[in-house]
Amino acid sequence: MTRANLIYKWSVYALALLPIWLLDSEILSFYPLFGVVPILLPLATVAVSVLEGSYAGARFGFAVGLLWATAYPGGHGDRIILLTLVGIFVGILSQYVLSQTFLGYFLCSLGALFARALLQIVIALFVRISSPYIVLELVCIELIWTMCWTPLVYLVFRMAYRRVGGTKLA
Amino acid sequence: MKNFMRENGWLLLVISVLLSLFITIGSALMGGNVNPIAAVVGAVTAPIRGGVAAMVSWSDTVKNYVLHYDEMSTDLSELEKEVATLENELRQAEDAIRENEQLRILLGLQAKRQDFVFESARISSRSNSNWESMLTLSKGSRHGVAAGDCVVTETGALVGIVEQVSQSFSIVSTVKNTSFEMGGIIPRTDSAGILEGDFALMSDGKLKFNYLSESTQMVTGDEVITSGLSDLYPSGLVVGRVESVFADPSGMTQYAVIAPEVAFDELIEVFIIKEFDIVE
Repeated sequence: MTRANLIYKWSVYALALLPIWLLDSEILSFYPLFGVVPILLPLATVAVSVLEGSYAGARFGFAVGLLWATAYPGGHGDRIILLTLVGIFVGILSQYVLSQTFLGYFLCSLGALFARALLQIVIALFVRISSPYIVLELVCIELIWTMCWTPLVYLVFRMAYRRVGGTKLA
Repeated sequence: MKNFMRENGWLLLVISVLLSLFITIGSALMGGNVNPIAAVVGAVTAPIRGGVAAMVSWSDTVKNYVLHYDEMSTDLSELEKEVATLENELRQAEDAIRENEQLRILLGLQAKRQDFVFESARISSRSNSNWESMLTLSKGSRHGVAAGDCVVTETGALVGIVEQVSQSFSIVSTVKNTSFEMGGIIPRTDSAGILEGDFALMSDGKLKFNYLSESTQMVTGDEVITSGLSDLYPSGLVVGRVESVFADPSGMTQYAVIAPEVAFDELIEVFIIKEFDIVE
């Protein structure tokens, strides 16, 4: 694949990320369900990792993590590490254990969100000190509400993959 | 003339004289109103006159369209440009009006608290996390903003505290955020406590007024303001109103759930209090 093709490919993925990011930051954050908003950026990372593999997933995860940490107030550096790791592990899982289908993507999304929730639980319980019941309730609603958006995110990135994914441009 | 007078001429003359008399007397008697005959004639001919006028107008339009098509086309494109410019100016004017209104209200606050030095800022982004409630403001250390500065609306309602500052922007922890902690007071009863963000209440957009003594008298709707006892933050900023009161599990104290005065989703512009006098 030439450098031009590579740039074109990742530009298409960046373009696919744009509506997801706008939906996440500009629309859904104003309409919380039970006071909870979904988080779509990890779903985008999982989608690219499932479709493209661990190496590309890690790179995409790093970029999305950077966006997540810098574009939102209160963003922390842990988001970059988290999404890079998600990219690596999801890519490996989808290549060797699961399939590159929506089911594989759904299960990987669930795992990624669960990993993120674990991190939040640790921070909430030990750093900010809160009742485990309240934290678990918040985690559950966030997980379910975010998982509702998996079909849309998968569809968007699947479309991008069909155009430029894998070795199509090679 | 002879024939005319012979063939019903006299009759016609009489009728015309009677008719003119009838109209003259009728007009005089009806004082300012149209005489009955003119009214009947007018009613009958009105649609016809309307039709004729419409035809004339239509023919004028067609004539103008045919003769001045190029001229009109140029006029239209110029008008379209003018409309676009006016619409843009209107949008700017609406923005200016809103800002003006905010500044007018702020002037009232400034008159009450002359020690406050304000810096206006726009909200450039909001956290979409369920674990914190933060805002990014368009002003930073370059504009004199520092960590710990209070952020208020034009009415003096507390939005939050500046937590991090960069050169050109700052990050505010809102009153709902779990890291928020500040002394509060109910002016009606002078009961003091600690205002703090709470995980359980954050998703409902509320906060906690904690460590209130058992004897504190509170009712729903009581206003809660900042106490300024720590000297870190100004006193008298409206935080919200008491929504419900609960006894602490220990039984030694009680706490209230506070509904903030600020509608966070509707915030566009806020004011950072850069300086204030510490009241001893």
